[in-house]
Amino acid sequence: MEESIALKPEELWNPASGLSDRVGRLREEYVEIEQRDFHNEVMPFTTGTDWDQVWSPVLWGVVPELIAFNKAFMESLPLAATKVELPDGFWDEPHVVRVAMFFREVVSRYLPVRILDGELIVGGQFNVALSRAHNKSEARAWLKDTMKWLKGIEKLNSHGMGNAGATPGHLIPDYPRALETGLKGLVEYFESLKADAAGRQQEDLLRALIITCEAVRVLAGRYADEAERLASECEDEARREELTEIARACRKVPWEPPETFAEALQALWFIHMLVMVQESYPGPGLSPGRIDQYLYPYYRDDIEAGRLTREQAKELLDCFWIKPNYAYDFLYRVGRNRGITSGYGQLITVGGHGPAGEDVSNDLTWLVLEVIEEMNLLEPKPNVRLHRSTPDELLKRVSEMVAGAQGSPFLLNFDERSEEALRWQGLPEEDLWDYAPVGCLENTLQGNDRSGTVDVNVNLAKAVELTLFDGKDLQTGDRLGPRTGDPRKFETWEEFKTAFETQLKALLDTFIDFYDFSDSIRARFEPTPYLSALVRGCAESGRDVTNAGPEHNYVTVEGVAFATAADSIAAIKKLVYEERLVSMDELVKAIEANYEGYEKMRQTLINKAPKYGNDDDEADAIARYLSRFWTEEVFKRSTPTGRRYRGGYLSWNYWIAYAPTTAATPDGRKRGTFLSNGLCPVDGTDRQGPTAVALSVGKLGLETVPNGDSHTITFNPTLLKGSERVDKLASYLRAYGEKGGTALQINVLDAETLRKAQEKPEDYKNLLVRVTGYNAYFVMLGREIQDEIIARESHEL
Amino acid sequence: MSSEKAPAPDPDSGTVFNIQRFSIEDGPGIRTTVFMKGCPLRCTWCHNPEGLVLKPQLMWFDVRCIGARDCLAACTRDALELTRDGMRIDREACDTCGDCAKACPAGALEVVGRSYTPDEAYEEVYRDEAFYRNSGGGMTVSGGEPTMQPRFVAALLRKCREGGIHTALDTCGYSSPEVLTGLLELADMALLDLKVMDEAEHRRLTGVDPAPVLDSARILAGSGKPVWVRTPIIPGCTDSPENIAALASFLAGLGGVQRWDLLAFNNTCGSKYSRLDMVWELEGVPLKTEDEMVELAGIAERSGVEKVAWSGVTRHE
Repeated sequence: MEESIALKPEELWNPASGLSDRVGRLREEYVEIEQRDFHNEVMPFTTGTDWDQVWSPVLWGVVPELIAFNKAFMESLPLAATKVELPDGFWDEPHVVRVAMFFREVVSRYLPVRILDGELIVGGQFNVALSRAHNKSEARAWLKDTMKWLKGIEKLNSHGMGNAGATPGHLIPDYPRALETGLKGLVEYFESLKADAAGRQQEDLLRALIITCEAVRVLAGRYADEAERLASECEDEARREELTEIARACRKVPWEPPETFAEALQALWFIHMLVMVQESYPGPGLSPGRIDQYLYPYYRDDIEAGRLTREQAKELLDCFWIKPNYAYDFLYRVGRNRGITSGYGQLITVGGHGPAGEDVSNDLTWLVLEVIEEMNLLEPKPNVRLHRSTPDELLKRVSEMVAGAQGSPFLLNFDERSEEALRWQGLPEEDLWDYAPVGCLENTLQGNDRSGTVDVNVNLAKAVELTLFDGKDLQTGDRLGPRTGDPRKFETWEEFKTAFETQLKALLDTFIDFYDFSDSIRARFEPTPYLSALVRGCAESGRDVTNAGPEHNYVTVEGVAFATAADSIAAIKKLVYEERLVSMDELVKAIEANYEGYEKMRQTLINKAPKYGNDDDEADAIARYLSRFWTEEVFKRSTPTGRRYRGGYLSWNYWIAYAPTTAATPDGRKRGTFLSNGLCPVDGTDRQGPTAVALSVGKLGLETVPNGDSHTITFNPTLLKGSERVDKLASYLRAYGEKGGTALQINVLDAETLRKAQEKPEDYKNLLVRVTGYNAYFVMLGREIQDEIIARESHEL
Repeated sequence: MSSEKAPAPDPDSGTVFNIQRFSIEDGPGIRTTVFMKGCPLRCTWCHNPEGLVLKPQLMWFDVRCIGARDCLAACTRDALELTRDGMRIDREACDTCGDCAKACPAGALEVVGRSYTPDEAYEEVYRDEAFYRNSGGGMTVSGGEPTMQPRFVAALLRKCREGGIHTALDTCGYSSPEVLTGLLELADMALLDLKVMDEAEHRRLTGVDPAPVLDSARILAGSGKPVWVRTPIIPGCTDSPENIAALASFLAGLGGVQRWDLLAFNNTCGSKYSRLDMVWELEGVPLKTEDEMVELAGIAERSGVEKVAWSGVTRHE
């Protein structure tokens, strides 16, 4: 491959100098977090009872970095909390109504209201930790289960088995309907259901939904008041008019349905922002879905009526774009290591096809791409749906943006591949075309589907370790899996495989039990009625969104370290049982010794066994076997609340987190070396280039993976220089959509540039890289992730 | 991998030193390039020195060697010696049987060049069919010099034609007109390397007379098939404005060339030379700058060739 030469700072994807003064200033204000005199840092609010809790560990189970902080948060946040004055009769109400009332009190009286200078879309303070509004006995029961849960997560996490938690967000609320009818319309609908309510549970929920929707109107009114106040003090006439217009809009939406593009964006932001308030969660995975579809009529009508120019529309979108980024203020003092502050994923989707397979991209799609390109921000995370009929010009534009940015400005989702898996999952055929991803790349339907997309994360490489050590963790000697016997006694690959499958299933069941428990804690103690108001199925069934209320309910089990596991069993099959180059006895000893003194064997394992990711049929057949076996096992299971488990491959940063707690593996990896990421091959093992790796991924048979898979590839920037090569990238993407995985992200990077960025972070602060399904500012990542990315990029395709 | 004492070699087999997928420099679209071993030229800058001689060669990768010494035991001809300065390969004694490579746990020894039947090569090529179809790409047969192994190349081109895969014949032009014409008939297009116009310089830099190369250029240009000419821009060898101007006027007189690419000198192949116990004369020579490439491309425009482009890594100043 060609020698790479570091990109100079001015060659990086930078925010366009073409941003309007207003937008440039607002963007800068957000980015310069230390310079700001305000922060959207988490604000706790309490009922003031002795037993009150504002922090719920079960919601944070999938963030291993926070596990150790849970108890501290549980103790300290209530102490720092603002006591909310409760309305009369509060404690007489059922829990879900108390939660709704508490939400109402906070947003209508306590949540700070601030309008930034120059902004056109308002609504800024939303990071909160709301009281769970438990009464004493609920609190006691909650605490008992939570303490038990904490023990469970600590065990799973500290042994590198994985993690699980009933994670908020990670769904697409039915924003289009809320815009169409206004929240007023939703309230009318809920009122209409009251008459036929099936019982107390549904009656209570409907009351709660109505309370929360009405509360949003109050908050919007407070912003209207503030805008009026600022207008009355404003000496700049142009700004005064804008503030007057903001006040008018906030008096109207989101209670009334919006009628213009500006009103629609304002309404959407309020509706969305308050879900983060309700869930006390800074947005990860709370995804607006296909905005270029449902916002398009507002945009088109304004343009056609001459009420708005394209430039004005862009500026409004720019202002909207900055808003979700403030979620990152949540824990800004706690630290930025490990991408905690980089992986939120309020995912928007553009492009894709319609019900008849026709392309539905429109001018708003293109406008959104311009905004993405010019803003260079982490949120909202964009995802472009590509399909058979994506127009060449759009694909070219997308390819140019990928080639010109370093860590693709968006993730690419492939419709045919994604829909095939959602069909396998059993979602209604007539709805598949309107799917959209949440978080990073996790495919769901819109408005009626909670698929718990990152709720369970299982380290598949751990099952290899447990098979080699008869169910015990090598480091601690703790028993984590069943006794499957001493592997030295397995005479055939079949025997080994049977033991491995037993361990894998047992590992899965450990997580199923643990997640069932997590889900039940949330279902019993953590309703989120405002979100339930926005998800179809909840009001109708009388069940909260946390209690299997949505029309579609799934829990996704994400397989972590897939390629590490696949290559490990491939090495055993080939070298231990077929070629007998390595004996099981020696292999076990070598792994116990972390390959110290066994370098020759380690090299044999690395070099003489087939590796997934090279379009090598031998390796890929084993990888396919693993993927099919695993995902089909996952799909056999359901929670007691009726949510079916489904498979996915997204490893967030667990491939790093579990590296030290996963023993050396038979693919030649030593303990501590990072595991494989998503569905990517093990770093450095894919040597046949981007076409081969795409085919390897595609050969896995991903229709059994409805969630979708995380696949990242890296191109050296020199490979994509110039229009002809961008065309080649575009055609690569077409072929990928036919043969590869469900989603792809592309880094266009070389190690040299990254090293420069480590040396001179101040010059490279806009350098965005793709980590695992999300992008992050490279210089803000922890050193260990930085080094890992450099190692990854050093191996060019 | 190695074909130890294969029973009856297929007369159509060829010696291939690499099958490179996702080739985006060797013709239109996304391609797979089949590199044939053996070349009649000896260009001082050759980027693929492992393609020069026809027979397989043993390569030793110093960075991979862990000193396990299994190779020494495996060698029945006493051709290897691990010294303090690295592996010494007795290339007279070595028959490239590949036993040492097989024995090496670390993959530090490789036999470069192996025999493929046309079917085997085609099977590899066909894997990326979807990428060719979507990109207007296909297979390029290159080298080394493909016309040195015409039976294999003809059979492979035929298979691709049957399979609907677009093909490009990438030649240095130093070939008999009959062989070239025969292969060209089976290919969809040709890529031709033109390096130096001056006769003495051509002989000095490539080791051969330019006349057959220019004759080949005429054959290709007159064939009616798309022809892309490529010129490596090598500092001190091919990169003078005079040389580019002379090539331009030759091409102007020739007509029928669709495209002319100037490929900037790439300095990353030094380690390949040392692995073959060869010396690379261009070690340490700096890359071209972007301005220089732009200037040369400007001169190349005078050829009247429809499309002139340059590519490659350049030096930041």
